[in-house]
Amino acid sequence: MDETVIEYIRRTVLKVPRDEIKAMLQTWGFLSEAQLQTLNFHQTKENISQDVAQLCEENSAGIKQAAVLDMIYNHIYPNKRMWSVYQMIKTGEETEFFDITDFKKKFKRRLRSALKNVTINFREHEDNAIWIRIAWGTPYTRPNQYKTSYVVYHSQTPYVFISASALKSNLPLLRQTLVFASNYHDIREMELRSHSLNSLKDIVFKRYIQNFQTYCERSLPKQDVAPETDSRIIQSHKDEKERIERLNWEAFGDGPLPKLEYAQYVLETMFKSDPKMDVLDKKEPFRCLVKFSSPHLLESLKALTPAGMADAPLSPLLTCIPQKARNYFKIREKKSLFPGSFVSP
Amino acid sequence: GVFAHLEMLEAQAHKEAVKKEETDQQEEKLARLKARVEELKLQRDKLRTKVDLQQGQLEKGRVVLDPDQTSPQAALEWKIKSVKSMLKIFYLTGISGKLTKQGVCFCISTAYEGTYFDSYYLDLFIKPQVWIHRHSIPPFIPLEQIAKKYLKTDIKRFMAVLSDHLNAYVGRRYQAEQLQEHFSDWIEGALQRNSLCNLLVFNYTVARESKAFPFSVRLLYGDLCCSLPTEVVVSCASDAPASLAEMAAAHSDLFRSTALHKAFRSIQGTGEMGN
Repeated sequence: MDETVIEYIRRTVLKVPRDEIKAMLQTWGFLSEAQLQTLNFHQTKENISQDVAQLCEENSAGIKQAAVLDMIYNHIYPNKRMWSVYQMIKTGEETEFFDITDFKKKFKRRLRSALKNVTINFREHEDNAIWIRIAWGTPYTRPNQYKTSYVVYHSQTPYVFISASALKSNLPLLRQTLVFASNYHDIREMELRSHSLNSLKDIVFKRYIQNFQTYCERSLPKQDVAPETDSRIIQSHKDEKERIERLNWEAFGDGPLPKLEYAQYVLETMFKSDPKMDVLDKKEPFRCLVKFSSPHLLESLKALTPAGMADAPLSPLLTCIPQKARNYFKIREKKSLFPGSFVSP
Repeated sequence: GVFAHLEMLEAQAHKEAVKKEETDQQEEKLARLKARVEELKLQRDKLRTKVDLQQGQLEKGRVVLDPDQTSPQAALEWKIKSVKSMLKIFYLTGISGKLTKQGVCFCISTAYEGTYFDSYYLDLFIKPQVWIHRHSIPPFIPLEQIAKKYLKTDIKRFMAVLSDHLNAYVGRRYQAEQLQEHFSDWIEGALQRNSLCNLLVFNYTVARESKAFPFSVRLLYGDLCCSLPTEVVVSCASDAPASLAEMAAAHSDLFRSTALHKAFRSIQGTGEMGN
């Protein structure tokens, strides 16, 4: 058992960029300062990891310490995982006094009663975020420390961020345990996924800068920033440019946008063709999936109209992404007066 | 043969007829546009004379408060400045708003003990009934509950209750942060709190007869619109001297009535804070 733990620690250290290893080990705090001094951080990562493994073996590292190291790694590099957002629903109106010890106890008890072979670890952070690491086993095998799920929960909010990794079959159990431990009644998956955990938090916690119309000077569009232009260059479409800028500001605001990697639209609409063209014999929905991907989707959408690649204003299907907190859409036929019926969240 | 020739002539005639129709249409369109241009020119001239008239009125004699500066430019600048200060005052009162095309956009600016903190925004639409289009209220504030109770019936009350919640939250958060910042020496271990800062649990040390005793505190803020706790439990170890129980009770009362950091400051002043 010890050897697998040491190997797990060694592999975790290997994942870290060489320059960051020392800082992470210090945060971990399992190896003493004296021991850290003996390590040579200028050798290859492979050798560093071997040395660290050696020291951990001397200190008799157990599964708990290994789990803590893994949690620190994932906290520093959360973007290596794919996160989904879930919303919990409650019907009661009592004031929440969220007590973390109570939550932890309930969570562990409920999960363990359903599945004995799990490793559960908690870690609280400054911003009231509670990180939960779960390594799953089966009724007959030990927890597999390489197949972990992570849950990030901010107390007294209905949102949970889950990175499930390989074992999706344990998701229903995890969801029910969360609902129970946090005193909610139900949980549903939101159509919002990304690698950037902080951006997901920004969207659902409304931390990104939205452009509210107020009299506060901060929120006025920047009109006095005049770039140095050659006076010989005449802007013939100045009005149009300003119109585009204004519409862009209304749609996206002027602060940094949350980082999403893609938006996906599933079309279940009828193909509307010229009757003379007679493309389809049968009148059935034309199934189509449109996926926009980008290293930073919202910024690239914002750049479309000023670059002249799309007409302003952009389709509300694209600009509503942060406000509706979703990047997966199903578009069906127009049933009412509102343009484009969305699946109601 | 003859028929082919006739067909060709027919086709030619048809083509020319179509062309003539096109040119007729274009001429018609041109005439229409020309008439429109004349119309717009007339309108423009009318508006120009109107502007000139108004400009003249402006120069003649407006209410100028500063007798030295008689230019209309200065008067306008003064007006803008006074309007800006008025808006700043509204902002400082805590709730300010701006009418939008479809409703109102409110700004709640929070403050505690004379310091201004974050501002939160609410974009309300009023058709078909009052509803929240967008907002920047943090998710742990029970916005849906408050909206369900007051939004449709009494907007003023809704804004007041929401503002109370936000201001109280900011106040509680400030107290907890001040505690961690200025009194970290006396706090043992970590301060347990939650997003709303309505439950605080921590330990601190008191000194009695040059001995240090740990006290453990649990503060419960039952009223989310209040920045003082509704329930305080201060407990000490069971083997502690009896006089300590008195101190615990006194501290408990202090925490119930005074802001946390101020309470700690006064305890520090009495010399009861231990190491």
